[in-house]
Amino acid sequence: MTVLLEIKEKLKLIYSKYEAFILPVAKFLLAFIVLNTLNGRMGYMTKLDNIAVVLIVSLMCSFLPTGCLILFGALFSLLHMYALSLEVLLVGFCVYLVMFLLYFRFTPKDSLVVILMPLLFAMKIPYVLPIAVGLLCGPASVISVGCGVAVHYLFQTVSANASAINTMGEAESSAKIRLMIDGIIGNRGMIVVIAAFAITVIVVYLIRRMSIDYAWTIAMVAGAMTNIVILLVGDLIYDTNISVVGTLLGSVLAVIVAKIIEFFRFCVDYSRTEKVQFEDDEYYYYVKAVPKMSVAMSTKTVKKINSQRVKSGTSMQRNGAPAGRGTSSQYRGQNEGSTGRSVITERTGSASRSAYGNSGRAAGRGSGKSVTIGTTTADAPQGTSDDYEELF
Amino acid sequence: MLNEERIVLMTHMASYENGEGKKNVKIGNYFRSDYIAVQVLKSVVCGTIAYAVVFALYIFCDFETFMQDLYKVDLLAFAKNILIYYGIFMAVYAVLTYAVCTYRYAKAKKNLKNYYHNLKKLNSFYNEQK
Repeated sequence: MTVLLEIKEKLKLIYSKYEAFILPVAKFLLAFIVLNTLNGRMGYMTKLDNIAVVLIVSLMCSFLPTGCLILFGALFSLLHMYALSLEVLLVGFCVYLVMFLLYFRFTPKDSLVVILMPLLFAMKIPYVLPIAVGLLCGPASVISVGCGVAVHYLFQTVSANASAINTMGEAESSAKIRLMIDGIIGNRGMIVVIAAFAITVIVVYLIRRMSIDYAWTIAMVAGAMTNIVILLVGDLIYDTNISVVGTLLGSVLAVIVAKIIEFFRFCVDYSRTEKVQFEDDEYYYYVKAVPKMSVAMSTKTVKKINSQRVKSGTSMQRNGAPAGRGTSSQYRGQNEGSTGRSVITERTGSASRSAYGNSGRAAGRGSGKSVTIGTTTADAPQGTSDDYEELF
Repeated sequence: MLNEERIVLMTHMASYENGEGKKNVKIGNYFRSDYIAVQVLKSVVCGTIAYAVVFALYIFCDFETFMQDLYKVDLLAFAKNILIYYGIFMAVYAVLTYAVCTYRYAKAKKNLKNYYHNLKKLNSFYNEQK
């Protein structure tokens, strides 16, 4: 566990150090995967189904706000629908518009779930998202998850009816719209999945908020089981053709991913739980304090052994901190001609857990020390100093 | 001399100003009733558009049958039904908006109060230094 915690601290340190590069790269990769998956699933507009276009748009998404990824994703899907038929575009646009007007106007941040859900469905691991949302977001995110599932089934309906729509003539506009709407609304599989995911999110949220030991672990396992049970019962009642093995494996994977999320977000040590009780004039307080797991990262020690001439009158020098971090002070021997000792004490960064969660600040507030001890000889000719550096 | 406590406080405040603070300041500029009224009004407009979109899809979905039955059905009763559904939908949506906005306003005010308290604290740090 200590090794894992050290790795976590290192990752946090790396992220805080290179955040300016990591974030755009992550956005680029997400946009690239999302758009490629979209092209793979629909791909009716051949001009868009081009790696150069995807790369350009992904690059744009890498430095634009996250909302732009959602916008480009919606635009790509609508253009593919337009290439198939104007009526399909109309239905797709109406679905997006209603979602935006009724819900995402309030919580624009949640709209990322709508992009991630079809992506995870394409990767056959959609069960990760309801558990992750239950752990990280509030109960209102149920609607985002539901919208994500609806968007996935919209894409599925478009793909499933593409050949039928292509064979229909231009005069059969209302038939095309009916086909699309019946395909979405009449899809019992979608209703079952929306119900299962919504209940999973609520179960996970309610349990992880409880004041019980291992609440997060219990929440994710209970959520996964709830999800499996509802999906299987729904399959039995409505014959939705849900793969039992796929559901079980997907749920196991979802729990593993949820454990990783827990490790980074809610890493506490229940063995050191403290329960205290006190009172004031108005209330009795029953407080349960669970300490966070933290470990100080191993620090780098730099030992320098210098042999150099010391000028007379130099009693003490103070130097600036190397690389702009910490402080450095140097003390030297006072008498010329005698063997002096110079000691440089440097503060180097070490990861200490911050209660504020601002990992950026932790970099400069370490407690690690490096000591440099130098031996100075007055008789030694200038320019012939021997320097040694030991890193361990 | 650097005051670590002051720096921590300033970091917190700067982080708040750049993130949630912007929204909260906008909300805080309104009186409670004004903020909620504006939001409910926006919701009514958005809800009406959404309802119109769904209704249009419903009509388009079965356009031929609708046109055939247009002269047979009681248009007044049909319009009455549509308006009743619209009224129920808007009432539910407006109540939900009201609840969400009330919660948001209270939260924003609380956060702003905390922010102004921190501003005073920061000011006292500077006064102590002088």
